[in-house]
Amino acid sequence: MTSTRAMITKRIAPRLLTGLLVAWGAVTAAFIGMHALPGRVEDILAGDMSWPGLREAIAQEWGLDQSVWSQYVGFIWRIAQGDFGTSYVMRQPVADVIGPQIWPTVHLALSAGILAVVLAVLAATLTAGRGRIARAAASLIELACVSAPVFWIGLLLLLAFSFTLRWFPVSGADGWRALVLPAVTLALPTAGLLAQVLREAMEKALVQPFVVTTRARGIGETLLRLRHVLRHAALPAVTLGGWLVGGLLGGAVITEKVFGRPGLGTVTLNAVLSQDAPVVLAVVMLAALIHVLASTALDVAYVFIDPRLKVQ
Amino acid sequence: MYARSNSTDRSGHHKLSEQLTARRLMLLAGIAGAGMSLLAAQPAAANETPRSGGTLTFGVTTEPVCFDPHRSVQQNSYIIIRNYVDSLVAKNADGRFLPWLAKSFQKSADGKTYDFILRDDVVFHDGEKFDAAAVKTNFDHARDAKNAVPAGELLQSIEQIEAVAPHHLRLHLQQPDTALLESIASVRLGLLSPKALQAGAQLCGGGPALAGTGPFRFAGYTRGQSVALERNAAYNWGPGYAKHNGPAYLEKATIRFLPEYSVRAGALSSGQIDVIEGVQPTDVGQFKDQPGFQFLTGPSGAQTAFTLNINNTIEPATDVRVRQALRDGADIEALVKSVYRGTVRRAWSNIGPDNPLYNKALEGSWGLNVAKANQLLDEAGWTGRDAQGYRTKDGKRLGIEVGYPQPFVRDSRDVLIQGVQAQLRKNLGFDLKLRIITGGEWGQQLREGTWTIYPNTYLPADPVRELEGNIGRTGFIRAVSDKGDKELFGHIESALRATTADDKLKHVHAAQKRAVDQAVIVPLFAASYQLAARDKVRGLSFEAQLDSPSNLYDVWVAP
Repeated sequence: MTSTRAMITKRIAPRLLTGLLVAWGAVTAAFIGMHALPGRVEDILAGDMSWPGLREAIAQEWGLDQSVWSQYVGFIWRIAQGDFGTSYVMRQPVADVIGPQIWPTVHLALSAGILAVVLAVLAATLTAGRGRIARAAASLIELACVSAPVFWIGLLLLLAFSFTLRWFPVSGADGWRALVLPAVTLALPTAGLLAQVLREAMEKALVQPFVVTTRARGIGETLLRLRHVLRHAALPAVTLGGWLVGGLLGGAVITEKVFGRPGLGTVTLNAVLSQDAPVVLAVVMLAALIHVLASTALDVAYVFIDPRLKVQ
Repeated sequence: MYARSNSTDRSGHHKLSEQLTARRLMLLAGIAGAGMSLLAAQPAAANETPRSGGTLTFGVTTEPVCFDPHRSVQQNSYIIIRNYVDSLVAKNADGRFLPWLAKSFQKSADGKTYDFILRDDVVFHDGEKFDAAAVKTNFDHARDAKNAVPAGELLQSIEQIEAVAPHHLRLHLQQPDTALLESIASVRLGLLSPKALQAGAQLCGGGPALAGTGPFRFAGYTRGQSVALERNAAYNWGPGYAKHNGPAYLEKATIRFLPEYSVRAGALSSGQIDVIEGVQPTDVGQFKDQPGFQFLTGPSGAQTAFTLNINNTIEPATDVRVRQALRDGADIEALVKSVYRGTVRRAWSNIGPDNPLYNKALEGSWGLNVAKANQLLDEAGWTGRDAQGYRTKDGKRLGIEVGYPQPFVRDSRDVLIQGVQAQLRKNLGFDLKLRIITGGEWGQQLREGTWTIYPNTYLPADPVRELEGNIGRTGFIRAVSDKGDKELFGHIESALRATTADDKLKHVHAAQKRAVDQAVIVPLFAASYQLAARDKVRGLSFEAQLDSPSNLYDVWVAP
């Protein structure tokens, strides 16, 4: 109990507090970025339309006639109250636009993340320290997965398993069948990278004295790798995990587009292209919060993987 | 709002001759007019009785940013919007206007008063009655500047809207407006329930609240995935060009957003969806003349051709010789052919070739002439050469920037411009600089009149309004129009205010000729829509007012 409470006060609470600062910083940076882009919001919203009073009407409607500073303060104040404002181009509350899109993206990223970990662990445990050919083959496949653009992997999978074999539907978010191809598409690059890191770490661990000792106790090779070596090798991979969360979310944007799935992808892309500031800022804030949560979770995970950290 | 002038259309047009077999040509002999090529590719359906019921899935390229007809400025959104929204009048393929929600309509002799007698049996999806007051509410809402409704620009000539009787609407104009009926026929002024309009802001988000009078109601929207449409069982007021009366045949339809070309094509070829819009040149062969499929090409008449608009108020484009050299220095025909593999036509005017007011005489009147173009540049004093081989004058390089707003880049159009760029460099030593800019930067350039070349396709509208919006006094050049081409402006304004059709035609032709002769435009290609579908889908067609696929009212699925 005490150790759990200590962990919360020592590790988690400060991280979450910093997280708020990070989110604020990210939103502020995005706000500055949006305002630094050439052209005024009125220009974008008016497009090629022009009649007397139009730009003024638009500016008044969206409060763009106020100073940048008061727009910023108003914006932060509203966010603090949970109000993300209204999208300029979609003309709906940002929360209504983004809210229903969060779960599909998280669902996809989470499925892909789990799949990536499973694939990486399998590949690494099976090939680490084995024959040269097996390792070379695995490395090659991993390299291909890491280097190939996500949309290209998606198209290849679609070609094989949807268009030709017709095992899975091409698009949508109805049921597990529609999730398989997008999740695999998104998982492969992450799995490739994780597997490479994991294998290297395992190979280092395999020559450690503790392995010799454990082997001397007569443990089977599989059990040795899964129970002892993998745990030892997991730390560098977990460190990478924080970065991979970003990769998964970014990749989800492209994957959603290829597979015509709901999610934050299309919304974000369109918002950026049309300089729809309220939506962009909300997405930035959401992304910042997810990063903070993910890195906090990883921080906790270290402790469980490596008990030595508890003592410190 | 940003996609206003760069409507999201798709390229690809097959020559009529390739599609029409002799027998079908004979069948078609009686039918004149633009857009008829589409009939040729339809499966033989002469003796079939349309079947009511069933569902259909339609894969489209673009997910609309906004589903409100008055506010949406993405052409590809209208493919969907047309299913739940009707207009007062309907534009036929031959350019005539036919009854729709208005039983009849009449223009006064001075062209300043329009009377519409409305149908009295029309009901909105939310149960509201359709009448003259409802139309007035729609139009007044659109033209009220404080609502900032994009479609309001179509009603600028209107002084007052009067509901004379419950089903008698009268429009009073400030001056004659030859584009008015086309504007009224536009999906952008489609009619929404007054109750929905008053409920206000959130119509962009679609859903059942967006109540029109169309053959389908907007049942649901899953962002990023699809729109669900359900048959309006009460519907009995189709447009004058519709092929049947009563409710739509299809019970339900799903519009699927599949932005990737190859994914759409694969979904159709593997039988997962029934119809797709937007077929890339390399995929056409999968469906055209293939068993089990049909392939249809739409007209290029309602939207403008993809055109380089040149700002002739900024050096060095102030010199007509420089502009003409730019116009004739590249082999546009060959470039269009190589980029689009013969699926689209090269353009000669910015008005689409299937538009009744297209100036056909411009064909062959300009184009590749490298010797002449070089001679013009020599005469204009661009005789020096710099280290990279570009022409110079007084130490300045001969160059103009093409600012292409990123949200509008699609269909390999940037590749086409790069082709022109390479040829102008090689042939003339002319530096055409392609720069991809943001929508905001374009907005700023437009406001300040500092853009130099703007490549675009304009939303479907009356050709005069297209000319005005592109190259007229209030067009892209408006900030600096006092330095623009007065003769060109004059032709366009005369066309807009003409009181006879002949007078309008004369001025529209003259304006197109002036624009090309003076090289304030370099038309590149005539964009058109394509549809590919399973062969059992019947009744697919294109809407003359939009160029894009018609709504699903006449569509049915054979057993």
